[in-house]
Amino acid sequence: MTKRPPYLQPGDTIGLTCPAGYLPAERAQDCINTLHNWGYNVMVGKTLGSDSATYFSGTDEARADELQAMLDDDSISAILCGRGGYGISRIIDKMDFSRFRKKPKWIIGFSDVTVLLQHVFVNYAIAGLHAPMAGAFAVAENPCVASIREALAGTKIRLEAPVHTLNRRGEAVGELVGGNLTLMTHLIGTASDVKTKGRILFIEDVGELLYKIDRMMMQLKRGGKLDRLAALIVGGFSDLSDTDRPYGKTVYEIIRDAVAEYDYPVCFDFPVSHTDVNYALKLGIGYKLKVGKHKVTLEE
Amino acid sequence: MNRKNFLAAVSGAAITGPAWSHTPVLPADPRIPPYLSLGDTIGITSCAGYITLQEIQPAFQLMQDWGFRIAIGDTIGKRDHTFGGTDEERRADMQRMLDDPSIKAIMCARGGYGAVRIIDSLDFSTFVAHPKWVIGFSDITVIHAQLNRIYGVASLHAKMCNSFPNDWSKAEPEQAATILSIRQALTGEKMQYTVVPHPANHPGIAEGTLVGGNLKTLESIAGSPSALTTDGKILFVEDTGEYLYSIDRMFWGLKRSGRLGNLSGLIIGGFRIKPDDSPDEAFGKNLQEIILEKISGYPYPVCFDFPVGHQKNNYALKCGVRHRLQVAPDAVTLIEI
Repeated sequence: MTKRPPYLQPGDTIGLTCPAGYLPAERAQDCINTLHNWGYNVMVGKTLGSDSATYFSGTDEARADELQAMLDDDSISAILCGRGGYGISRIIDKMDFSRFRKKPKWIIGFSDVTVLLQHVFVNYAIAGLHAPMAGAFAVAENPCVASIREALAGTKIRLEAPVHTLNRRGEAVGELVGGNLTLMTHLIGTASDVKTKGRILFIEDVGELLYKIDRMMMQLKRGGKLDRLAALIVGGFSDLSDTDRPYGKTVYEIIRDAVAEYDYPVCFDFPVSHTDVNYALKLGIGYKLKVGKHKVTLEE
Repeated sequence: MNRKNFLAAVSGAAITGPAWSHTPVLPADPRIPPYLSLGDTIGITSCAGYITLQEIQPAFQLMQDWGFRIAIGDTIGKRDHTFGGTDEERRADMQRMLDDPSIKAIMCARGGYGAVRIIDSLDFSTFVAHPKWVIGFSDITVIHAQLNRIYGVASLHAKMCNSFPNDWSKAEPEQAATILSIRQALTGEKMQYTVVPHPANHPGIAEGTLVGGNLKTLESIAGSPSALTTDGKILFVEDTGEYLYSIDRMFWGLKRSGRLGNLSGLIIGGFRIKPDDSPDEAFGKNLQEIILEKISGYPYPVCFDFPVGHQKNNYALKCGVRHRLQVAPDAVTLIEI
């Protein structure tokens, strides 16, 4: 049974850290203001807007130390990652989750943060929040940002998705796992690799070539990660590109074909992605998915 | 052989049914297919990307000049979008070549993408009883890994038809030497390679079975029945068109999945790196630093700039065959033993 970290109360503190790529401080200002407006205190880590000259928000040590401090600090009730990019794979095995296990808190992020979310779920059975990060708060009245507030306050998640012609109808119940497809495949065979049997898997990705999406789906399939799902939720696949010789299928057709031989429900165009449409999802928690003729719903 | 990998192989077999429903053979030393003699037939097939009959002409001509017969597969000139035919067409062509006793070696015409889409539907039973050389690299890494991991048969990591020069008489010396290395390997010459020492090399001597190939392709088969096991082996990797951060992530994947800790030796081939998007996004480590960081504390020899990869300087390497790697400050050699 997955442990849910305590939901937040007004006056609680959210830590803001950048465990992966660099984020200028001004890009997080809307986020900090919004969290204050929601009634939370914000503890801003030094990795945000640091003097790092590289791709990363700081050295491995600086990023790991800050994340560790926020995991261990009892006065911090949730950790919001400033941005993804790349970098958590470099520090994940250095982290000490012993205090966090006893006093879990919500970790918030997606994309590269898939590594952290999946690692704590797989190893410690602690739920996390797959959700937009600091940059998304700049979009005025973004309902996806509002969904973070609701999730942290303990509102049960209920999402509707548009009906897509490739959907496979049905109903399923299971724990939600997944995240960014590239990161999920990157974790295969490691200590952060997730089992998918009986679970609802969701995937999204950005900036990949179509054939690479197919290759990753083949990897999931050949690794036994697709055949016994309760259901598959396919989010947005944005900014994809194709080879000079066209692949000949859309990304959703690629995914549909990879799971054609199974009979669980599948829904496409689910509002989780690297675009502005990216609703908060609690990972590791049980949901009911209904993929119907006129309606697609996911309910916690 | 560790337990985790064994279980992965078994569960893979249990899940997927017909294609893997044999008991995995877990070879100590892979078997070496018979070497070729004059008059033997080499089959050419495209199990991945699309290629025309015209594009394979230089390879066809030269290998005929070497004294081999050539059997051109049905997939040459076939096209299904980016592929050399549909999955079924590519499977059937490869299957026929695996099973045809008159074909002594199979050269994959080119890489691209597609081998993984058919690998589990191929029946290797005749091939295992009567092994033959399978030749290729890049996407064909999938087949080398499968042959090594599941069937215990050696194979040839080498240039393919699309790397043969249009005019052999005008081939640059390096290009000619790498193409000729295919013939040397197929006819049973013991392979020997001398490499220019790189300052980042780690000295030492290693012996072990040579395995490896394209790094990205190796990553994409992790967790699958063909995933490489590397304990006690000499691992070689090469790649093209990847960002430094992506190479870093792939090496973390190798390390975190236990594939770097117990190597006998490590060979780093050519890496054509995709430049960082902007100076602000500079990764901050070069290829050598990325790799040395992951193997810090491991005692085995490492050499950089080995002549294998998506480049002219890409010599044939016998996967699954024992080699000795000697890395000294002034000389680096890899010798088939």
